[in-house]
Amino acid sequence: MNCTRRNFLIGGSTTLFLSGYFPKISFASMQKKNLIIISLRGGMDGLTAVPVIGDKRLKKLRKKLILEDVLNLNSDFGLHPKLEIFHKLWQKNQAAFVHATNIPYTGRSHFDGQNLMETGAHIPYKEKTGWLGRGLLASNIIGKGLAISLPMPLLLRGVPQNNNFFPSPDFVETKLIDQIYNEFKGEHNELIKSTLDTIRQRPLSMQIATDSDDRKKLALEAAKQLKDQSGPRVAVFDLDGFDTHAAQGGVDGAHADELEEVNKIVTILHENLGQAFDNTLILTLTEFGRTIKQNGGYGTEHGYGSAILMAGGLLKKSQVYTDWPGLKKKELFEGRDLNSTIDSRAVYNSAMSICFNQDPDFLRKEVFWGDHLPDLSQELFKI
Amino acid sequence: MSLNFYRRVAFGLSPHEKPYKDPLNWATNQLDAIPDFLWPGTIPTEKELRKKYGEWVYGDREVLRKKFKNDKYAYRKAKDELRIKTGERYFELNEHAIRHFQTKYSKQPVFERFWLFWGNHFAISEKDFLAEFSTGPYQREIIRPNMVKTFEEMVQSVTTSWCMIHHLDNSESFGPNSKKGMEWRETINENHARELLELHTVSPNAGYTQEDVIQLAYIMTGWAHKWDRKNLETGDIWFDQEMHQKGDKIVLGIKYKNDGKRELAKVIHDLATHPICIKFVSTKLCRHFITDEPTEEMINPVIEAWNKSNGSLIEIHKAVIQQAYKYNEITHKFHPPEIWLMQLSRIFDLNIPLSFEKMNYSFKLKPNNRQRQLSWILREIGHSPYRAKQPNGWSDLEVDWVSPELLLRRFWFASVELPMLVKSENRSHDFILSCLKNNFEDHKNMASLIHQFRFGTSDKDLGRKYGVICNLPEILKV
Repeated sequence: MNCTRRNFLIGGSTTLFLSGYFPKISFASMQKKNLIIISLRGGMDGLTAVPVIGDKRLKKLRKKLILEDVLNLNSDFGLHPKLEIFHKLWQKNQAAFVHATNIPYTGRSHFDGQNLMETGAHIPYKEKTGWLGRGLLASNIIGKGLAISLPMPLLLRGVPQNNNFFPSPDFVETKLIDQIYNEFKGEHNELIKSTLDTIRQRPLSMQIATDSDDRKKLALEAAKQLKDQSGPRVAVFDLDGFDTHAAQGGVDGAHADELEEVNKIVTILHENLGQAFDNTLILTLTEFGRTIKQNGGYGTEHGYGSAILMAGGLLKKSQVYTDWPGLKKKELFEGRDLNSTIDSRAVYNSAMSICFNQDPDFLRKEVFWGDHLPDLSQELFKI
Repeated sequence: MSLNFYRRVAFGLSPHEKPYKDPLNWATNQLDAIPDFLWPGTIPTEKELRKKYGEWVYGDREVLRKKFKNDKYAYRKAKDELRIKTGERYFELNEHAIRHFQTKYSKQPVFERFWLFWGNHFAISEKDFLAEFSTGPYQREIIRPNMVKTFEEMVQSVTTSWCMIHHLDNSESFGPNSKKGMEWRETINENHARELLELHTVSPNAGYTQEDVIQLAYIMTGWAHKWDRKNLETGDIWFDQEMHQKGDKIVLGIKYKNDGKRELAKVIHDLATHPICIKFVSTKLCRHFITDEPTEEMINPVIEAWNKSNGSLIEIHKAVIQQAYKYNEITHKFHPPEIWLMQLSRIFDLNIPLSFEKMNYSFKLKPNNRQRQLSWILREIGHSPYRAKQPNGWSDLEVDWVSPELLLRRFWFASVELPMLVKSENRSHDFILSCLKNNFEDHKNMASLIHQFRFGTSDKDLGRKYGVICNLPEILKV
């Protein structure tokens, strides 16, 4: 066993010496950079997605959930076989993982946890806006958020004029809008009128009816929009079903099905973003990980530490970035969960600073109330 | 008085109603008594549905998960069968039917609007299986009977209801110095206490501190479901002295002596009669019926009525209606999707909800598409009433409801789905014109916009007409 705490951290403390942030003015920073967040609701199991193959304890505790055909990342970590695209991108330094990370929430309620993963706060339901919305607002990037969902996700709230795409079940004749457009008179109708403008300016591809359950089409459209230099800079996807209390399985279980969905979305984004993929960061977000030990239903319960799956050309290199806490009983959180040694908000804050060309310290204050979140840009991203 | 008053405080006038001589009187007379439920189909009790909830949770968690631990397909299949058997996929549909039948046919539609308001003020957000089994009956059995009592009584009932306690985790809140807290090294869960302050009563304007939240949580410890192996978390609410934090507590500067079970009623009394609470809730009421940003001038008479009547909801409601009447001509209010749908259903006498015979459920097959239709529409237009994302319920602000996709969904509903809900006898152009005349001052202009389609009666033609009509500013707003 060579997986001991801290031996993954090489140069991880550089943040202490970075007193300021100097954005480089280069052609690359003129290019629009995209930040894509995929919410994985229900509690994504970091140890199923990125199993620690260097630690035999995992096998012992999860006899029935063991993965075969794990894709190799390095001597310590493997990758779930359904996450093929990440493996492919890993070879090109375009995929990486942050492990043993979570938002600072140790309760085990989905609802509180999902609220906090979106608000970035410490107390459930206290904040009414999302960290991504606040980040956009602080960076003065207005009207550039695209949600792939019907309601505007909490994550994006806090900045006005976001667009959302979740096509209705049937075709809508948008010429109906032309017929009534001029009826919206007066100040009190301005908001609706400007929203009708947004609808009328949408590309035809966003007006067609499609099956909102068809993730493929939605991802395809998102890629198309993000590729456009004047299009959105941020996109948010929502996946659920990660709450696998039973029949979680290994290579082929219920959790694998969900990972396959993530894989599908990233594959489509990668294929269709083309060159723009080089200026893109894709990050996953979840409310907590799952218990190390399998339960009586060969599933897992709500846990704590999880992993962030990352892809995109703005990554520094392929790596599993972690301050590994270990899996010995005393190393586990409350004796049962993988611990979290990295506040995942530090990753998101750094990602926003890269994609929005902002000082991470400024964002940390504007978005996360000045919480202590080390700047990880140097370690994780191209700057 | 403009005809839009009937939509401002209710759901518009159906083809069988005519404008009333004295609209203000018509409206305020609806608030003294609780109208019966009109739905002729089954209306199960909260307790019956909680039992079903228990069967579902027990069956899945304690039986199926263990039985099919190696086989995700067999597990899914068995789980689907259990859903059908326990009505997990059905009861919410039935609740939507009860609700929409009421708003469509009630002789006291103004009362029904207040019912919707309070259900959303004391919102149950989407959590566990509450939407499936509990939120509907909670609104029927906890919210509704209290609407002719005082605000304080409403808060008491809500705070000790199974649904709210489960929703905000009070059963998981242990006084750290209580018998069970010490034995199990457990502590408080602040969720419910925080929302009681923030959302249900005084709001953050009261300037409470984290310590106030903790102290209130201490007072609330012990109010929990009675747990047993078979019912799991669906047991009745009781006060468990062994979970209750001992000692005096101080909330917002007021001391509550160690008094076990009786502490809660005392603190609720003080919160529900707090001037900041009265102002906060009066503002919300005015926001709902008058305009997104009501002025002091609009709110003050409601506060006065509240103080004068010691929080009688009947008197408060009447004051709100008087203000809505007073400001009807000079304010605008955007209606969220569900109210919009209810109004279209009443004004154009649409075929929703489905007849009660067709809503009958066998517990053998999954609900059919027709039975799912209303709930599906609600979801597609973005306003599934029992599935608010957060405990603060659905927003009452226009800005939260005007997004490209949410507006497009209304065009979709009106132009594609609505035509299929028009009764066969109502397909003529004249019918639409008469409904418009019944409800809108500006009906002539509205009619002119669909004049070009006047000869068409196919679904497609109706879609063009309703697609235009239902999305006009005077229908999206009052």
